[in-house]
Amino acid sequence: MRFFPIVGALWLAGAAVCPAGSPVRFNRDIRPILSENCFHCHGQDAARRKADLRLDTFEGATAMLEDGPALVPGKPENSALLQRMTSHDPDEQMPPPESNRKVTPAQVALVRQWIAEGAAYEKHWAFVPPVWGALPPAAAWDRQPWDAWIRSRLERDGLAPSPEATPEAWLRRASFDLTGFAPTPAALDGFTGDVIARGESAYRDAVERLLASPRYGERMTAEWLDAARYADTHGFNNDSMRSMWRWRDWVIDAFNHNLPYNQFITRQLAGDLLPEPALEDRIATGFGRNHVINSEGGIIDEEYRVEYVADRVRTLGMTWLGLTMECSRCHDHKYDPVTAKDYYQLYAFFNQVPEWGEDGRLANASPLIPAPTGVQQAELALLNQQIASAAQALPEASTAGRPLAEVLAFLSRAVSVQPDPAGAGFRVERKDGKLINGAKPEESSGLDQKVTDHPALGPVFAFPAAAWTVAPSQFEAGSHKAWTWQTSLRWRGGEGVLLSNMAWQIPVSSVSHGNGFEIRINAAGAVEVRMAQKWPAYAIQLETTTALRPDRWHQIAVVNHGTGTAAGLRVYVDGVESDVVVHHDGLSGPVGPRALSVGRKEGPEPEAYEGDFAGFQVWPAVLPADDLARMADRQLVRLIGASGGMPEALVQLDRVQSAFLRYQDSTREAVQALRVAQARRLELKRKFPSVMVMAEMAKPRPTHVLLRGNYDALGEPVTPGVPESLLGAWPPGAPRNRLGLAQWLTQPGHPLTARVVVNRFWQQIFGIGLVKTAEDFGFQSEYPAHPELLDWLARDFIDGGWNVKDLMRSIVLSATYRQDSSIAPGLLTRDPENRLLGRGPRFRLPAEMIRDHALAVSGLLRERLGGPSVFPDQPEDLYKGVVVDADYPGTKWLTSTGDDLYRRSLYTFWKRTVPHPVMNVFDTPDREFGCVRRSRTNTPLQALTLMNEPALMRAAGHLGQRIQAEGGGTDAARLAWGFRLTTGRLPTPREAEVLAKVQNQLRASYQADSAGAEAMLKSGGVSAAAGQAGESAVWTALASNLLNLDETITKN
Amino acid sequence: MDCHRYENWGTRREFLSRTGLGLGAAALSQLMGGFSASAAGGLPGLPHFAPKAKRVIYLFQSGGPPHLELFDPKPLLSERFDEELPASVRGTQRITGMVSAQGKLALQPSKYAFQRCGQSGQWLSDLLPHTQKIADELCVVRSMHTDAINHDPAITLLQTGSQQPGRPSIGAWLDYGLGSVNENLPSYMVMCSVPSKGPPDQGLLSRLWGSGFLPSRHQGVQLRGTNDPVLYLNDAPGISRERRRLMLDGLAELNGIQHAASGDPEVEARIAQYEMAFRMQASVPDLADLSKEPQETWDLYGEAARQPGSFARHCLLARRMAERGVGFIQLYHRGWDVHGGLTDRLPVLCGDVDQPAAALVTDLKRRGLLDDTLVIFGGEFGRTCYAQGGANREKYGRDHHGRCFSLWMAGGGIKPGTSHGLTDDFGFNIVQDPVHVHDLHATLLHQLGIDHERLTYRFQGRQFRLTDVHGKVVKALIS
Repeated sequence: MRFFPIVGALWLAGAAVCPAGSPVRFNRDIRPILSENCFHCHGQDAARRKADLRLDTFEGATAMLEDGPALVPGKPENSALLQRMTSHDPDEQMPPPESNRKVTPAQVALVRQWIAEGAAYEKHWAFVPPVWGALPPAAAWDRQPWDAWIRSRLERDGLAPSPEATPEAWLRRASFDLTGFAPTPAALDGFTGDVIARGESAYRDAVERLLASPRYGERMTAEWLDAARYADTHGFNNDSMRSMWRWRDWVIDAFNHNLPYNQFITRQLAGDLLPEPALEDRIATGFGRNHVINSEGGIIDEEYRVEYVADRVRTLGMTWLGLTMECSRCHDHKYDPVTAKDYYQLYAFFNQVPEWGEDGRLANASPLIPAPTGVQQAELALLNQQIASAAQALPEASTAGRPLAEVLAFLSRAVSVQPDPAGAGFRVERKDGKLINGAKPEESSGLDQKVTDHPALGPVFAFPAAAWTVAPSQFEAGSHKAWTWQTSLRWRGGEGVLLSNMAWQIPVSSVSHGNGFEIRINAAGAVEVRMAQKWPAYAIQLETTTALRPDRWHQIAVVNHGTGTAAGLRVYVDGVESDVVVHHDGLSGPVGPRALSVGRKEGPEPEAYEGDFAGFQVWPAVLPADDLARMADRQLVRLIGASGGMPEALVQLDRVQSAFLRYQDSTREAVQALRVAQARRLELKRKFPSVMVMAEMAKPRPTHVLLRGNYDALGEPVTPGVPESLLGAWPPGAPRNRLGLAQWLTQPGHPLTARVVVNRFWQQIFGIGLVKTAEDFGFQSEYPAHPELLDWLARDFIDGGWNVKDLMRSIVLSATYRQDSSIAPGLLTRDPENRLLGRGPRFRLPAEMIRDHALAVSGLLRERLGGPSVFPDQPEDLYKGVVVDADYPGTKWLTSTGDDLYRRSLYTFWKRTVPHPVMNVFDTPDREFGCVRRSRTNTPLQALTLMNEPALMRAAGHLGQRIQAEGGGTDAARLAWGFRLTTGRLPTPREAEVLAKVQNQLRASYQADSAGAEAMLKSGGVSAAAGQAGESAVWTALASNLLNLDETITKN
Repeated sequence: MDCHRYENWGTRREFLSRTGLGLGAAALSQLMGGFSASAAGGLPGLPHFAPKAKRVIYLFQSGGPPHLELFDPKPLLSERFDEELPASVRGTQRITGMVSAQGKLALQPSKYAFQRCGQSGQWLSDLLPHTQKIADELCVVRSMHTDAINHDPAITLLQTGSQQPGRPSIGAWLDYGLGSVNENLPSYMVMCSVPSKGPPDQGLLSRLWGSGFLPSRHQGVQLRGTNDPVLYLNDAPGISRERRRLMLDGLAELNGIQHAASGDPEVEARIAQYEMAFRMQASVPDLADLSKEPQETWDLYGEAARQPGSFARHCLLARRMAERGVGFIQLYHRGWDVHGGLTDRLPVLCGDVDQPAAALVTDLKRRGLLDDTLVIFGGEFGRTCYAQGGANREKYGRDHHGRCFSLWMAGGGIKPGTSHGLTDDFGFNIVQDPVHVHDLHATLLHQLGIDHERLTYRFQGRQFRLTDVHGKVVKALIS
């Protein structure tokens, strides 16, 4: 990108291109002048409006003021607007001198002409729905109907299109654009031959091949990750790791399957709100959670939660609306007709997420879901099948027809073979009329509970009741200790706390608010386990999918492996491990043991449990599943026995039956098979990656206008809504939530969405959008270089079903795209940015492609679609002195091994605060916010990186070897082959001469220095046969030079 | 286009003719500004007026150094030891989540004494004996204030003018506005150090020296304390200097042919960037090579300067960068977030920074560089006048405090031997001459000849500047 205006360059909007004698157009010529110079004080922001004058509407500009109207249509000399613009009196002059704004004489002339011609206002072009325009007359040059606009505009400016690029050049360009890689020499040969044989069809088929390649989705995704601010860390100064790669893989998949773009929008905005959303729909909503999340201790929670909501609005504005919405966060927009109220109505859609400001120190922030990969989903389906058939294999009622007494006798024999596991540290017993810890009688304090004796279960404690606490010496309920807690319980319904030692410091933002451990039962009967350093953000929270039934004795056990993660916790209900839903898995450090309250919770909102406990036991170890199952069965047998058989057996008939199957010889194996499959399913589920998603709060959070954008300055309440009068009515019947918002955004008459999207794809190909300000289509945007073309493409996109592959196909097959990219003399000064497209696109490759291309041509590249992000080489000490001094995941770079060292750059772990240097130096944004336009710079650090980065040096080593092996028999052939591999063409004779010259010089140099040659091979990560070190070193150096060629890293 | 400011045109022209390329000089310099192969660069019309300073050395103390122990003595705190902070003083101040649960905001005096120093009689802490000796060079600002109370937003505000990420850093603005005066070194360089002992705690963020929405070539270049001082600077083993020259000549020739064929000025720029890279391979090691520094240098900066990566080393390097015309030299020293263990950690931190910071000022002065070098020493906020945890005469801590904090400046046309601003007797509120972060930025730019309201960049439909829509030059600081 060029950053200096070039004298004499043609300018697209304004006088330079307004053909002499043609009428002035408000949108093209006048609005940019007024917007830049006047609207700041005379626009729609009433709070800041000066002199009661607004110039953004005809009514406002022609209103009678004290000194007469600012604008008198047809009478420039009577219009105060023009007088002020031309005044030299500092008190009169507009814009005022202190504003640092200035109107040029050419602009004054335009304003004068506009007023003379009647001072007509137009609605801002981008707020009018795009229409099919009448194409200019077709010509032979055109390959797409819309090429006519490019050609006719060039003609109008007295320019001609450039000649067509060679087939090879086109294929290289299209391959980079559609797949991110250059074509191989074989593909180039094949294509050239095909063009000779089949002409135009060869081009079309080549495009189909490229679009069908899975590389296409990866390439398209790379662009979207910038806009969607994807990263593998949370940002801010802790910047620890998050897991969002399942969302990234969803994007790849969406592009590869050519998901219609309106669906692409809808699923990412509101996949969770679709009727019966699929897992993939929910994963897609990760888009709304890609923003940075702050876990700095002591921040004010609401302040940051508000930032996240604002980020969603900003991202929506940037990516799909093309409006700088955030300007309206603190005040009415200075330029665009968007008020602060409009802003907060849009904000209200995104303000319903059950989330916290401080979260994500160690893992994903809530809300999150498990997001199994395709392979895992297949495994799960298989296991489900196995479990279903194993269950089917069991006889349904094997106890049928047997006397209950016989069944019970059998069971009681079976369960009494082995005693309870030894080593319990705590066990309630009753001795001499007193309660004691049967495991350690000397530690029996605190057991002064009122109890009744149960014939089967021993002492039974009824709740609610007065305090019963268990000392840490009796139950070390620490998060990072192994333990097993088991109890019988009969729950009477309602939400209740079984065990808790949560400490609640006030206020809520306190760092230790909700610190401790808790086991609860919810109203539906699910058992929930919580462990928190700071509830709810730095916590584990999970609940069983199995529900307890009220008024029935159950046996439950919670087992902790001491890993401090949800995967280390198991909950057993009646001896069977239950599946769990993990709501949060971000415990940020150990929670130590503290005295536990049984059956109640202290703190600001005390809660109790209604029901009974019995047989409360704790082991300072992980008990095997078999032991837990047997103890549950034993409880069952005793219960039935004590009840005199029938009553309890009827209540617990399901348990009786499954226990019987488990111990009976004829069914034991089948039961075992089922249990193994079930255990494998649970194990598999524990390995599912998680992904943060959007969700709606059960009870909507009220939204207010925030005065000056401050989180704690609530203004008037607002409800979800969109600027309907500006951008179109709310679709009839659409729900007032994110789904409705998506429907509104993608309705066919929406003036902005399709234009913004199409413009961005155009920018991706041509390096600059038809509207240069890809993120802003408002009043301050640049008037499009080809407005009719933009409308045509947008209309075609909408009416053609939002088909992205169609759009890409249309572009790369166009005559506009197929032009040669070299810059004819004179064109550089006339049109330095190639806005008129009098030549093909030509610019440096993005960071990802530079590295990927080097890996590909050297043969180092390892391709695998999707998966967790990888850690290719990076300087070992890069984080030294910079990264936070804490052992959070993501604060250390653990270099990958094997294939993962050489994956596509799309998969490189993205740490926001210290991005990978190869990416960073080639202009990737840091992704703390979304970005739809990368800068494109040219710096010495880029040169140093290409010259010396170790992985690129290894690419040079391997490329050198490859050239020697595959490039042919002579130096000249090899040099030509290598040159073609990297640049896509054969060298000219002059270039071949230079290559040969350098080769000879290097040969002389390395022949005289065998140590240097060996060192060079080592740098290149290659070895050579005896006596060949010098020669291989030469090829390594030559290959490095090839990778450094401007043409190698340029799409031309 | 500022070709006339290009002082060393000859070398490149020689190179270009050597490689047989007919490059348009105008086109070349047009494409390269700021940190690039072109000397000069920068915006036309800048500086807006005659600058007092040509460069800035910012000695950033990351984490929030306690003003009450270092720069702002408050005897009243000792008299009212352990009393509750009066509500009338506290006002509406937000309290961070870290002490909001404390029952009491107990007043905590400094354990460390202060002295009136030099002819100017400035108050400076005994923790800073070397700084005490240069008191007459310093302008101590005791009335700094900021909007943020947590590290990330506060440090981001101080370094970019906004609490939220995404804006260019101070150095990036300067590189964009003023360009470079040295064609062999980046104009904006960064060095990061950690305490010699104890935890470095809060992390830094590369956005602090990033370019935000400015083109990324304006971002700071980190000079690292390793043997590859700029990333990938060293040629791979097996590529000698001569071979690199030979390779680059070949590369330039091929790129030159490509330029002729394509007509693309970017190719010319690329050739020049490779030459700049080649020069940096010599100039950066030369910058970092301290073997010729005499013993008196080590006496001045302290033996810690022999330790690569130390703050002392970085101060010495900063002087060498200043000599070589680097425009914005940014140092960070971490570890000042002394919540609970202030009394354990402060002696270490002051030991790390006091001598070298004072040495730098002394060294610049004796070399005649202080007049046009602005040195700034300070962090992102101060610390509370009440204790975090309980008040204690010997061992205590303090929480974050943004309502007032202190920093010092020296050289660069700032009034030496002065104090600016006044805080109340609790060191909690400012009672006279507040200086907001935006005001500091406006003043800094002013010293470099820049009107902070006129250094703008258009992004997303509006003109942005370092000072957002705020900031005023603090004239009282300027000599």
